Amino acid sequence: MRRFLFYLGGRLLGAAITLIAGVSVIVLVLKLAPGDPALTALGEEATPQAVAAYRAQYHLDRPIWTQTLYALGDLARGNLGKSLTVARDLPVASLILDRLPNTAFVGLYALALAIAISLVVGTIATLRRGRLEDTVVTSAAVLGISMPDFWLSYLLILALALGLGLFPSYGFVPLGDSIPQAFLYGSLPAMAIAAPMAASFSRFLRATLLETVGQDYVVAGRALGFSEPFLFVHFVLRNALIPYVTKVGMQVSYLLGGVVVVERIFGVPGVGSLMVDGCFGRDYPLVQGCALTFVGLVLATNLFIDLVCARLDPRRAY
Amino acid sequence: MNLHDIWRRARRNSTALLGLGLWLAVVAIVVFGPLVSPYDPTKMNFLSVLKPPSLAHPFGTDSYGRDVLTRVLYGAQVSLSVCIAGVAAGAVGGIGFGMVSAYLGRGYDMTLMRIADLLSAFPSFVLALLLMFALGPGALNIMAAIALCYLPSFARTSRNMTMAVKGEPFVEAAQLMGQRTSRILIMEILPIIAAALVVQASTAAAFAVILESGLSFLGLGIQPPTPTLGGIMSDGKDYFQRAPWVLTFTGLSICIALLGLNLIGDGIRDLMDPKLRKVADI
Repeated sequence: MRRFLFYLGGRLLGAAITLIAGVSVIVLVLKLAPGDPALTALGEEATPQAVAAYRAQYHLDRPIWTQTLYALGDLARGNLGKSLTVARDLPVASLILDRLPNTAFVGLYALALAIAISLVVGTIATLRRGRLEDTVVTSAAVLGISMPDFWLSYLLILALALGLGLFPSYGFVPLGDSIPQAFLYGSLPAMAIAAPMAASFSRFLRATLLETVGQDYVVAGRALGFSEPFLFVHFVLRNALIPYVTKVGMQVSYLLGGVVVVERIFGVPGVGSLMVDGCFGRDYPLVQGCALTFVGLVLATNLFIDLVCARLDPRRAY
Repeated sequence: MNLHDIWRRARRNSTALLGLGLWLAVVAIVVFGPLVSPYDPTKMNFLSVLKPPSLAHPFGTDSYGRDVLTRVLYGAQVSLSVCIAGVAAGAVGGIGFGMVSAYLGRGYDMTLMRIADLLSAFPSFVLALLLMFALGPGALNIMAAIALCYLPSFARTSRNMTMAVKGEPFVEAAQLMGQRTSRILIMEILPIIAAALVVQASTAAAFAVILESGLSFLGLGIQPPTPTLGGIMSDGKDYFQRAPWVLTFTGLSICIALLGLNLIGDGIRDLMDPKLRKVADI
C-alpha cells in the first residue's frame, strides 16, 4: 500500500507539472495572437482612455512574461477571467462548468459504445482468424478509421434520423432533465465519435489477442485441460486487457478532438462548441479556459488509466 | 530488415499493394484531373444550381452551380499538399529530435521527451484550434499546426527505435571506424527504422487530412474562395437535405484517399520485423 501511495504521489506530481507547463503554453500562445483584447472587449469605438484603463486593469500594458505570470496566478486561484464576446462579462469558469457535464456525457457515451463494439469485434476477428468473418470485420475497421467523423455525422443523420426517423437530427437534452431523452439525443453524436475509435480499438485488440493466443502459458493451460471459453477469458483476454486499456487511454485525447466538431454539428452545448464559438468571437479568456479544460481532461484520464493498469496487472502488486 | 527488403516483400503483400495502387490513383487523379476538367472550380453558373449527379456533372453541382467534382479535385490538391507538407515537416523535426535525443541520452533526452509529453497532452484538434486562433487561418498556419500535432509521435517512435538499435554491433562498428555521429544516425540507423516511420507517416497523413478538413469544415481553416475538401463539405451541409450529393461525394473521396494511406500503413506494418514493431509501438 505504501508503494502504491508513492506511485500515486509521483504520478500526481508529474501530472501537475505537465498541467502547469500546458497552461503556460496556452497563455503564451494566446498572448502572441494578433488583435487587441481591449478593443475586442470594449468595441472598436472605445475612447483611448477607456482602452488604456482596461489595459492597466488586466495588466495588458506589462511585458509578455509578466502577463503570463499574472495569468498563471489568476488560474491558480481558479479565476479563468470573464468572457469578452460570446457571453459578455459572465465568468468563463461558470460557462465551462455549465457545459462540461454535456461534453462528459457525450464523450463517455461514445467511449462506452467504442469499447463495447471493439470487445465484440476484436474477439470475433481473433476466434475466426483468416475466415470470412475476420476479413469482413478487419476491412470494416480499416474503413472506420478512414472516415472523417464530421462526414459520418451527416451520413448518420441522413440514414438514421431523416431516413428511418429513429433519432432526432439536431438538439440536445441534458442528462439532468430527462434520462431517456438525453440518451435519444446523445445517440447520433456518440455514434459519430465512437465509430473511428471502435475501429481503432478493434484493430488493436485483435493484434494483441493474436499475440497472446500463441503464448506458452495459453498452451500450458490447454494442456491442463481447461475449456476453450475459460482459457480465452482468463488466459487470453485478461492478459490482452492491459495493453488494450492503455490504448483506450491514449485515444481519449483523440476522442476529445472529435467531440469539438461533432458537438457543433448536432448542437450539443458542450465545451467543444463553446471553444469554437470563442474562436469565432475572438474571445481570448474563453478559448484559453476551454483549451485548459481539455488538457486537464486528458491528464486526468491518463492518470486514471495508469491506476487501472496498475490494478489489472498482478505483477505490479502494490 | 530495411526499407529495400520491405519493398521486395511488399510486392507480394496484397494489402500494401492495394493501398499503394489506391493512393497512386488518387494522387494521379488529383494532379491531372483539374487539367482535364472542363469546368472552373470558382466560376458560378446560376443556370445549373444544385443539379443531381449526371454524366456532365458526376458529383452534381453546388448552390452556385459549380461542378462539385472539379471543386473536389482542386480542393484535394490544396488539402493534400497542405497535409503532406505539414506531416513532412513534423516528421523531419520529430525524427531529428527523437534520434538525437536517443543518441545523446541523459538530460537532453529527458527534456525533449517531457516536451513531447506536454504536446501530446493536447488533443490534436484542440491544439490545432488554439494555433488557428493565435496565428489566424491560412495554409501556412495549418501546415504549422499539423507539424506540431504530429511531431511528438514521430519523436517518440524514432527515439524508442534508435534506443533499441544503437547498441547493435553494426553501430559499434561504425563508431570504431571513426564515423561522425551525424553519418551514423543517417546512414546506419535511419534505414533500419525507416519502415516504422513510413507507417507512422501514412497514418499521420490520414489523420492530418481529417484534421485539416475538420478545421475548414468549421470555417477556421483555409478560407474561401480557395476550395478545400472541408470547405466544400461545409457548403454542402447548409443544403444537404435538398442536395445530399455535395457532402456525400466529397466525404467519399476523402474516405478513398485515407483508405489508400491506411492500407499502405497496414501492409508495411505486417511486413516489419516483429521485434522492432514492438519497440515502435505502432
